Amino acid sequence: MELATAKTNISRGALGEAEIIRNKIILNKWINDIGIRLSNTGSVAKNTQQKAEENFSAVGLPTKKTEDFKYTNIRSYLQEDYVAKNGEILVGVQNFEPSLKLRVEDFQPLLNDDFISIVLINGKYVPEYSRLKNLPEGITIKSLFKALEEGNAVAIKHFNTGLEKTTNPLAMLNTALAGDGIFISIPENFSCPIPVHIANICTGDAKSFYNPRHLVYLHKNSELTLIESYHSINQAGKTFTNSATEFIIEDNASLENYILQEEDILSQRNDVRHFAVNTGSRMNSVTISLNGGMVRNDPTVFINGENAEVHLNGLFVVKENCHTDNHTMVEHRAPNCMSNELYKGVIADNATGVFNGKILVYRDAQKTNAYQSNKNILMGDKSTINTKPQLEIYADDVRCTHGTTTGKLNEEALFYMRSRGLNEKLAKNILLQAFAKEVSNTIKNEAFRTLIEQKIEENIQ
Amino acid sequence: MLEIKDLKVSVEGKQILKGLNLTINKGEVHAIMGPNGSGKSTLASVIAGKEDYTVDSGSITFNGKDMLELSADERAKEGMFLAFQYPVEIPGVSTINFLKTAISEIRQYRGLPAMEAKDFLKMLKEKQKLVEIEANLTGRSVNEGFSGGEKKRNEIFQMAMLEPTLAILDETDSGLDIDALRIVATGVNTLRSKENAFVVITHYQRLLEYIIPDFVHVLYQGRIVKSGTRELALELEGKGYDWIKKEFSELAV
Repeated sequence: MELATAKTNISRGALGEAEIIRNKIILNKWINDIGIRLSNTGSVAKNTQQKAEENFSAVGLPTKKTEDFKYTNIRSYLQEDYVAKNGEILVGVQNFEPSLKLRVEDFQPLLNDDFISIVLINGKYVPEYSRLKNLPEGITIKSLFKALEEGNAVAIKHFNTGLEKTTNPLAMLNTALAGDGIFISIPENFSCPIPVHIANICTGDAKSFYNPRHLVYLHKNSELTLIESYHSINQAGKTFTNSATEFIIEDNASLENYILQEEDILSQRNDVRHFAVNTGSRMNSVTISLNGGMVRNDPTVFINGENAEVHLNGLFVVKENCHTDNHTMVEHRAPNCMSNELYKGVIADNATGVFNGKILVYRDAQKTNAYQSNKNILMGDKSTINTKPQLEIYADDVRCTHGTTTGKLNEEALFYMRSRGLNEKLAKNILLQAFAKEVSNTIKNEAFRTLIEQKIEENIQ
Repeated sequence: MLEIKDLKVSVEGKQILKGLNLTINKGEVHAIMGPNGSGKSTLASVIAGKEDYTVDSGSITFNGKDMLELSADERAKEGMFLAFQYPVEIPGVSTINFLKTAISEIRQYRGLPAMEAKDFLKMLKEKQKLVEIEANLTGRSVNEGFSGGEKKRNEIFQMAMLEPTLAILDETDSGLDIDALRIVATGVNTLRSKENAFVVITHYQRLLEYIIPDFVHVLYQGRIVKSGTRELALELEGKGYDWIKKEFSELAV
């Protein structure tokens, strides 16, 4: 297929030799910190990581001048003295770090017995604490390291296919440093009857730097609901997690992906996602960001086959001095597809929110229907939102719209409600809940939607 | 019940109400008429407690309580209701849930026990019938995508549910066809009792053919310049507002 543009690749000029060397030094320090990486599983991963090391060294960490990171200065969150680690092991299990105060009781309440529950501690799969008793036969859930090491054909074939050509320095960095993560594979013609829930626990030492890497593969005609929740427990100081997940959704398959982010103020998270959406397939991704010192969600969707349907939704509630950035890219690379994107933000106190969403329609992607909407409510006088919706269209027979609104709560509606006997606080609350509901309503799993609505209610007050 | 004395109100430095007096007793229906810009909607908003206005002087007392000391929601809890000229759309909040919350807040304020779900549903059905509003409309988000007539009927429906002792209808007749006008009037007439009162603000006398007022007041340039009975409304209809404007233009400062 003819590439419509190469513009996105040239966001920065080439770096000088000295800077490249400097990048290599930082990278090598982090590689040494980690010890065992995916490279240790065999030649495929080794070649991939070597290539990623070169790619990263050539660009380095994003700066404020990097267009895609204009509103999120990564260097102010991820510093060079952060220590890269490959997940961590629990208390009670071999090799635990004495500083780690995580107990099983701390995260057990987060697990739902009706789901297939997977526990990741700092991105590392802990089978001992996961609950796979409901796991239907044929579904593979295991550590990505193990899958690659065992020569799992699907893992080896698809690892890094989505992010291979990424221009995102943090995605390159993840590929270079990844030590482990989760691998999920759903067999052909199989609909997973219960949701898979990944409970991600962030815990441990200050200045820890994690690069978990996940791969989710849906064979043709399969269906999966994947729920992810992110929590902090007993963090000793600020940590930075730079995670990356590749999703491959084969022909006529369907993915529901729900994400709840409720880490604490010490957690800083960059979440890279790559979705490869093929012919006749369907995906619905809903990200609910309720907390976290710094959160950057960076999903990219490649629509590679005809008649695919993509829904990308997000709600972000940012408070205090926190920062949440949603940077999204939907690439229509095939004709006759639709995408619908809705991101809503509630920004309070001194917090900053960012929405930067782009829809790119290739020349061949005729009959594309693409919609994007971003709506924000600023609660405080010092609350900030930076919003930048973008359309780049090279086909001539498409229907694409985008729009963004930012404002305070509707004063007329508040007075209307108050004139019926609701006090100001209650009226504001109800308006905010209603604002959020448009996003939470896109979660189909009832149990999780109910939980999310409760969480939203607790967080929006 | 409601006593307004020498009320002077301005917005952004411009005085809109310039010394307004009005007394309303239980069981009465008052109509307030007047040309555009005379201050009718300002009066309604100020009574209901909208904060965009500055009360320069005067008083509003309701059942002996100083309303200017109370917030909009407290005034509603005391038994006031404003039917809006332009009802606001509230996406994502169903009329039923909105009313459930409002009733619960009002009852709590008055020290009454919470309403039983079955009583609420019974009341809901009764009042829906009264204003001929379809159940699917009240299940939807408040006023969202409603026609002009549906919005006005929803106002009367909410009024019926909240059972205020004083209801102010701000140009409820504007934009209504004859059928909707009849439904709104039937709603008001059914709710009329010895214990409550209504203020009907209107530009035309048409609504007053259906809701027969006890008193008619003419508001002009921020003052009530004429008060009378129903005949005054008919006179206004016949002569138009020019007559008032000529007679009272010397009041203009």
